Amino acid sequence: MRFNLGFFLGEAFKNIRLNLLMSITAVTTTFICILVLGVGLLVSSHVEGVIGSVREDVSVEVFMPGRGQEEMAALEEKAKGWEEVASVNRVSEDEALASFKDTFEEQPEIYENLDRGVLPASLQIQLTDPDLANSVAGKLEAEGYDEENLSYPQQTIERLNSVTSYMIWGLYAATVLFLIASVLLISNAIRLSIFARRKEIEVMKLVGASDGFVRTPFVLEGLIQGLLGAGLAALTVVWLNFLFVDWSRQELTFVPIAADAVNTVSILLILIVVGVAIGVVGSFLSVTRFLRKI
Amino acid sequence: MIRFSNVTKVYGRDTVALERLNLEIDQGEFVFLVGPSGSGKSTLVRLMIKEMEPSAGAIFVNGTKLSSVSRRHIPQLRRGIGCVFQDFKLLPNKTAAENVAYAMEVTGQRRRVIKTKVPQILDLVGLSGKMDKFPEMLSGGEQQRVSIARAFVSQPPILVADEPTGNLDPNTSVGIMQLLHRINRTGTTVVVATHDREMVDVMRKRVVALDEGRIVRDKVKGAYADEV
Ligand SMILES: Nc1ncnc2c1ncn2[C@@H]1O[C@H](COP(=O)(O)OP(=O)(O)O)[C@@H](O)[C@H]1O
Ligand SMILES: [Mg+2]
Repeated sequence: MRFNLGFFLGEAFKNIRLNLLMSITAVTTTFICILVLGVGLLVSSHVEGVIGSVREDVSVEVFMPGRGQEEMAALEEKAKGWEEVASVNRVSEDEALASFKDTFEEQPEIYENLDRGVLPASLQIQLTDPDLANSVAGKLEAEGYDEENLSYPQQTIERLNSVTSYMIWGLYAATVLFLIASVLLISNAIRLSIFARRKEIEVMKLVGASDGFVRTPFVLEGLIQGLLGAGLAALTVVWLNFLFVDWSRQELTFVPIAADAVNTVSILLILIVVGVAIGVVGSFLSVTRFLRKI
Repeated sequence: MIRFSNVTKVYGRDTVALERLNLEIDQGEFVFLVGPSGSGKSTLVRLMIKEMEPSAGAIFVNGTKLSSVSRRHIPQLRRGIGCVFQDFKLLPNKTAAENVAYAMEVTGQRRRVIKTKVPQILDLVGLSGKMDKFPEMLSGGEQQRVSIARAFVSQPPILVADEPTGNLDPNTSVGIMQLLHRINRTGTTVVVATHDREMVDVMRKRVVALDEGRIVRDKVKGAYADEV
């Protein structure tokens, strides 16, 4: 049989118009569910991004205020010989100031009165494995550099690991729950609208319409509603992400939040696909279940 | 064309609507099914379009045994039987023309064919001026004409009407009966379930009388009741 898309689309849009209140409910439900799902995805992407960038930074930094070039060179040579060490990088006072200025580029008032020499020179020791930071720190202390001149992220990582792994799992669980809730909510909205039209469906069947013929406009309706709700939600999520990244650049300078932690295009696609799938599957199942009863 | 062979229909545990009923209707016949309310007329019609299954016995329509028609093929069966009901069963959100067109859409007819056929058939039932009216804007008689147009537009070999004049006044009823008669003259088998005594007596067609689920009389050129 010919598939008359024009006819079915016309029917679907007419149904949406005639049951406007029900359609708005379905679109709003989809919007809210997809929005929550999207925000969940955003948060977990950013948290993963932050953890990733902290982890990459597996280094121990030794500040060497008032120590001469030779002493630095000697320590550099020694450290290069340790098996835990991947590489050593010397940072002069000038470089330290330059990178500080870089970090606070947008707040010149912080660094404009800084003199050269306030920020000490240092050695950045890259490790082969972040778990070795403690043992390297111990060796440095044995060399006569006390704890307060050492900076290493071991504690940070441990704390981050325990907190964030719970957070991420919590987020995933919440996301799954919301997904289930949204499928239920949306298929319920669709079921209500089908129930409101049960007489019509019975008449269609009496006139000789096949199940597929009756079902198609409903499925298209679910698709349109899903697309609309999820599309709006996805755009909102992307917009929220821009706002957040912008805000964090100004207010959370020390947290390494990166705009590219979130792949905007794939988030858009995922959210829209999920929304459309919920609309299509929800309406398909609801109509099919109803058709089986008559 | 239509054959009921020893058909029994029991609703629930013990409501016997039809009991070992045998009936044969030939192609091109015009048949009245008469009988008091509750005698089983609607049950017979609903069995014919496989809205439900008989409790026992076999039904043949257009040479097909209904029990062998799968769920998936019921639509094809129904496209071969135009149906008209007491409550019209029009789609409320569609105009007269769209209601008729729907019966053609379900068979996958081309838009062009539908566009020419629908006005013709509405003209035939005397509604050419009301094509774009919604059912609620039409009188009962007009709604029934739309529903007859819908039942007949694909020219099915059989047309069944269950109390088509049940909700209409006598004058309007005459018009509806004439319409059904005209459709019969095109070669379509027409079965009308009714308890409209006058109508049956005037038309002088075959009358099958039911009572408590059994055929009590079957007479060519009959009347509603036995003539004395
Ligand atoms: N869906 C149903 N469930 C139970 N009993 C029914 C149902 N439909 C009809 N009946 C019973 O079957 C008998 C025949 O009904 P029906 O075929 O509607 O008669 P008619 O159309 O001649 O008035 C009646 O006793 C009626 O009460
Ligand atoms: Mg009846």
